[in-house]
Amino acid sequence: MAATLTSKRLSVRDEADAIEMAYDKGWSDGLPVVPPTEGRVRAMLEGARLEANHQVGIIRDRAVVISAEKVAINAVMAGCKPEYFPIVVAAVEAIADHRWSYHGPGTSTGGAGVLMIVNGPIARPLDINAGDNLFGPGWRSNLTIGRAVRLVMRNVCGSRPGLLDRGTLGHPGKLSYVIAENEAESPWTPLHVERGFRAEQSAVTVVASDAPNQFYNQLSNTAEGVLTTLADNMRISGQVMGQSTYVVVLAGEHMHTIANDGWDKKRIRQFLFDNTQNSYAHLKRTGRMTGDIAAGDEQRMRPLTELENILIVAAGGRAGAFSCFIPGWGSAKSSQAVTKEIRS
Amino acid sequence: MEILDPTTEAVTQTIAWAPRPASLSGKRVALIDNTKFNSDNLLVRIGNILKHEHGVAECRMFRKHNASVPAHPEIVAEMETWADLVVAGIGD
Repeated sequence: MAATLTSKRLSVRDEADAIEMAYDKGWSDGLPVVPPTEGRVRAMLEGARLEANHQVGIIRDRAVVISAEKVAINAVMAGCKPEYFPIVVAAVEAIADHRWSYHGPGTSTGGAGVLMIVNGPIARPLDINAGDNLFGPGWRSNLTIGRAVRLVMRNVCGSRPGLLDRGTLGHPGKLSYVIAENEAESPWTPLHVERGFRAEQSAVTVVASDAPNQFYNQLSNTAEGVLTTLADNMRISGQVMGQSTYVVVLAGEHMHTIANDGWDKKRIRQFLFDNTQNSYAHLKRTGRMTGDIAAGDEQRMRPLTELENILIVAAGGRAGAFSCFIPGWGSAKSSQAVTKEIRS
Repeated sequence: MEILDPTTEAVTQTIAWAPRPASLSGKRVALIDNTKFNSDNLLVRIGNILKHEHGVAECRMFRKHNASVPAHPEIVAEMETWADLVVAGIGD
């Protein structure tokens, strides 16, 4: 028998009244929400075959227990279909994982979004976009899955902008920030397989992230040419000194140019590691590193990040010589990328 | 119609607060450095004010692993045995 729903119930006249109540009570991210009725919430739970009292995660630093019931209510409000729910649940498990370290990206002035990268067979039937207009707009699954996770952060974990969430600037990805890897056309090993999962498993990787930085290279027809431009854009980006996680998203034309030269993700990663280092002198001159410039600082190099912190994803439209990189929030030590299996 | 509340209802719990000392004179104060730029410099200044203006006997810095995690158990245990007071809460 299905567990009783224990959340407080509120009476409203109609759907429009419910939408206004959500604004009045501070439950919304600024957009209208779908009213979370019992029937809708039960259907959402059924989408992942979870009982309402199932514990999805605990955020110890905030003393918050996240139940499936609360995740389902917020997923309804975000506009998710019940079949999206297993992805929402896996993403919430990931942000509650101690390695993601919720208290940092959930509160920081640095304004982290939760980039979610979906891999595996679940992406296609749910129409999770891996192509044109990768970061939106236009796809219900991409926009509502990420929104559901953000509403859980707001309503369950307390990350309300202006209160616990103190982002100085924030960014549009804080509304929703979901992509899939274009496994159908990618010549490379999928991200989740690189991170220890089997290709036939579905998984979501969460990364506390800045906004995407698009770069242009419409001239090169070699891997080294395209990646030289990317490295030049990346070298001074994000926190620079923080040694963050970096997600590099290579879209259609660049993906083919690089793959045609026989480069795999490992070689791309190594090239970016080698070509994004900064001299101590430059970091000190530009107000990023403390201390006076010392002898040898012009030659002494500091990696932008560690090799394993560079995640490569094949995604984006087929046409256009554009790709992007996404600097992670803070340092990779402060918040690690976390991958969880999607169980549907 | 009825809708369900999406927020977490707070569960009441009792916390034992440490009593506030009547005076800082002769006390040992732990300063928690959260690793952000200049947090250590700021705490050194606070420590000096506590010593010179309020009679604190000694200040010691304890460094967290990074700014987004709580102080780790090893330094908490050390502070428990060594310190009378703790200064925490450095932000940006």
